[in-house]
Amino acid sequence: MAMGSIGDTLWDVVICGTGLQQSLLALSLSRSGKNILHIDPNDYYGGAEAAFSLQEAESWVDRLATEDKGLFRSASITKPDVVGLSFPRAYSLALAPQLIHARSELLSQLVSSRAYRQVEFLAVGSFYIFKAPIGPEQQPSLVRIPSTREDVFSTTAISAKAKRGLMKFLRFVLDYDSPEQRDAWKPFADKPLMDFLQEHFKMDTELKTYIITLTLSLDGRINTKDGLFIVHRHLTSMGHFGPGFAALYPKWGGTSEIAQVACRAGAVGGAIYMLGAGIKSMDTATDEIELELTSGDKVKTKLLVRGDESVGDEPSISRLVAVVDSPLKTLFESTVDGAPTPCVAVVALPPGSLTTSGEANTDPVYVFAHSSGTGECANGQSVLYLSTMATSNSKDILSRSLESLLFAVDRDRVPQCLYQLHYEQAAGVKQSRLDGLILDLPGPSLSLLLDDASLNHVREAWKKVVGDAVDDAEYMVFTDREPVDDDDYE
Amino acid sequence: MADQGGSNHGIARTSRTRTEEQRQKDLERIKDYRALEDQVRHHAAKNDYSPDVFALTSKLLRLNPEYYTVWNVRRRCLISGLLSKPSPGSSPSKALPTSSPTATTTTSSADFSSSLSTETPPALESQTTGKSGTTAEDEDEEQKQQTRQQDQQNDQQILEKELHFTIPLLLESPKCYWIWSYRLWILKQVIERLPVPVARNIWEEELGLTSKMLLRDQRNFHAWGYRRHVVEQLESPELEGKSLVESEFEFTTKKISQNLSNFSAWHSRSKLIPRLLDERNANDEARKAFFEEELNKIGEAINVGPDDQSLWYYHQFLMLNLVNSAENPIIAPAFTQEERVAYLRREIESIQELLEDYDDAKLIYEALFDYTLYLCQLQERKPNEQEEKDLKGWLGNLKKLDPMRSGRWADLERDFGLKE
Repeated sequence: MAMGSIGDTLWDVVICGTGLQQSLLALSLSRSGKNILHIDPNDYYGGAEAAFSLQEAESWVDRLATEDKGLFRSASITKPDVVGLSFPRAYSLALAPQLIHARSELLSQLVSSRAYRQVEFLAVGSFYIFKAPIGPEQQPSLVRIPSTREDVFSTTAISAKAKRGLMKFLRFVLDYDSPEQRDAWKPFADKPLMDFLQEHFKMDTELKTYIITLTLSLDGRINTKDGLFIVHRHLTSMGHFGPGFAALYPKWGGTSEIAQVACRAGAVGGAIYMLGAGIKSMDTATDEIELELTSGDKVKTKLLVRGDESVGDEPSISRLVAVVDSPLKTLFESTVDGAPTPCVAVVALPPGSLTTSGEANTDPVYVFAHSSGTGECANGQSVLYLSTMATSNSKDILSRSLESLLFAVDRDRVPQCLYQLHYEQAAGVKQSRLDGLILDLPGPSLSLLLDDASLNHVREAWKKVVGDAVDDAEYMVFTDREPVDDDDYE
Repeated sequence: MADQGGSNHGIARTSRTRTEEQRQKDLERIKDYRALEDQVRHHAAKNDYSPDVFALTSKLLRLNPEYYTVWNVRRRCLISGLLSKPSPGSSPSKALPTSSPTATTTTSSADFSSSLSTETPPALESQTTGKSGTTAEDEDEEQKQQTRQQDQQNDQQILEKELHFTIPLLLESPKCYWIWSYRLWILKQVIERLPVPVARNIWEEELGLTSKMLLRDQRNFHAWGYRRHVVEQLESPELEGKSLVESEFEFTTKKISQNLSNFSAWHSRSKLIPRLLDERNANDEARKAFFEEELNKIGEAINVGPDDQSLWYYHQFLMLNLVNSAENPIIAPAFTQEERVAYLRREIESIQELLEDYDDAKLIYEALFDYTLYLCQLQERKPNEQEEKDLKGWLGNLKKLDPMRSGRWADLERDFGLKE
């Protein structure tokens, strides 16, 4: 592409926004030879999946205060009067922390497109259930969820009979797609998984909580079809990339890192990148659109791809990001010989488990604990990401959940909170929408697990750009640009 | 939970299809390989085991570690010159110096053929022609010591390099007999040639290696057998060893907690128990406690893995302790008859409980069948009416669940008069 004004080219596609989906689109087109202009009104990559330094978080909160629409709202930062917070760039707080199952489609695509080499993947370790103290003398505790046969064997937290029940379920799920098992769950497909576990397996509350937690369902009412899919993927992901873990998390900010790597690949493939440039106005004709950018440039393109920023129908979530002054070592212990040390741990506070002063939580609260190994905070500290359904008292629920969790982790030297960022995020639109030459990709996901379904929309957008001449089988399948010795990436 | 088809224990075998380009590359590689092979055979045929040939074997073995003849050639290269020579008639660790200064890789084949000759080494000559008296002998003894030390150091380097050489080969072909056997041979040389503390150290590292290999593939039976051999050597007087039975028992516990289906680990465990209890000087009470602990442990395992044959084998091993212990006391010889009966009854009951949730696990029915008969055997009686009913019922389940073995079930029916 010759250097010249961006207004001189008729772009094949202008992509607006560098969220995960738009970035993956750029990656998918990085070898297509198409003329791509990729812009973002923000001055950072990642959009709704960005990772912020403390400085960037502050700017973001300030900006949100002046806007009254959009998906993010009610953002605020609290800095308790405690010493220990490091310099702003020592932190990289993820707006959308998500786990990626080892057997997810995204990983296959990152591998086949060779982009995986730029990402450092960390292991996600144990899943815990928070148990409130039973009596006044009791202490709260964290119980590990067993998800392999050996886990079930070793745990002392469940009875022999319950263990058999759990094993039967695990065996069922591993085979859930076979005709036999389908007959059993099909009648419950759109009903809550909870109900199916109750009816078909006669599972007690404890075991049901284990299973629902593995799905990371924010309202606890995920349906049977989706729930079984996720549990199945969790179980089959276990050990897939190494012993002792079922999910991965990219270092340096999670999904935002993948977005950045994807954009980098796009740039290497010839796409032009412009941060801090949004769309001011547009003029649509039959086979091209003229866009006026906030930078003042006027560009013409055959197709415009954006991320839909309108608010969808589903409920919002409330999130608290907290930096604490402890490495929380007990959460990140590797339980299997030869397994990598995990940098992420999951703790669920089931409904009703929050018994400190105030109302109990009616929805589950999920906590992603990230060690400094994620690169998201300074050494000796950890970042906790708490999520729950947004309600009138969800902010209070999250604060108290944080307190209870820290107390359960180390009651002798309770970790102190150095920084808190709170915000609410509305659900976006779930479907893509094509209106003439404008394709709006769905809004950002609120899911705590990276959802394969979202990848289909990217694929559809790719097809729109490359047209029918290109074989579908080539999607995200590239060869290395230079010969690479795979041993370098052990 | 992973698919465990084939002897590769769930580690996927990749199949490859070739393009024309790849095929040409393969033809080139085959040509180079054959040339290498011809060279080595050519030298070996001439009894040429020089360092050059040694280097050729390195190349060839990297391409094909299964080529056992070439391992032998390599051994000969070591014995013929790379390693120090024992003097005729004296023990290897007290070897006299060779005629060439140091047996390192830079000497040519000419030197080696001369060292194989029967020429008297200069050192011996100086002994007889030097001044008489103690001084010359002392000097000589000192020189002998020095050269012996030098030899040992040299040998240590060579042997450690050999161990190092086999590692990448082992990682790629962890079940290749020839690599294991070569390592063993090297390690044997280690015992013969090196001072005990050094040898011990090397063997302890070897134990660490088997742990690593068993981490990569917990059911690699080569590694288990090899481990037993290494442990045996470490416990032997040659390496001034003491018993490792406690740590080895602990090792099986660890392996089992990582993978319940580890037949080799359970098997190893059963083999270690007699010596373990003896070394603990376990009295009857301790033995009883130990027996119950093992029973609990295997019970928990079967509770989550009722389809697993290795678990049932171990359970049976414990049950046989109750039944056969008159002939072959292993764990707890001092149980009374009442106690034995009580244990058997209890086991039969808890196994029946498993049927509540696992009514299609054939191994459960087999166990119930066998143990009921053990009970009768123990009490020297025939099955009573209820037991006969149960046995027939269980056999019926077995016939349904495992129709391929109908012959076996028919035999059992006949042998115990259980025909309907």
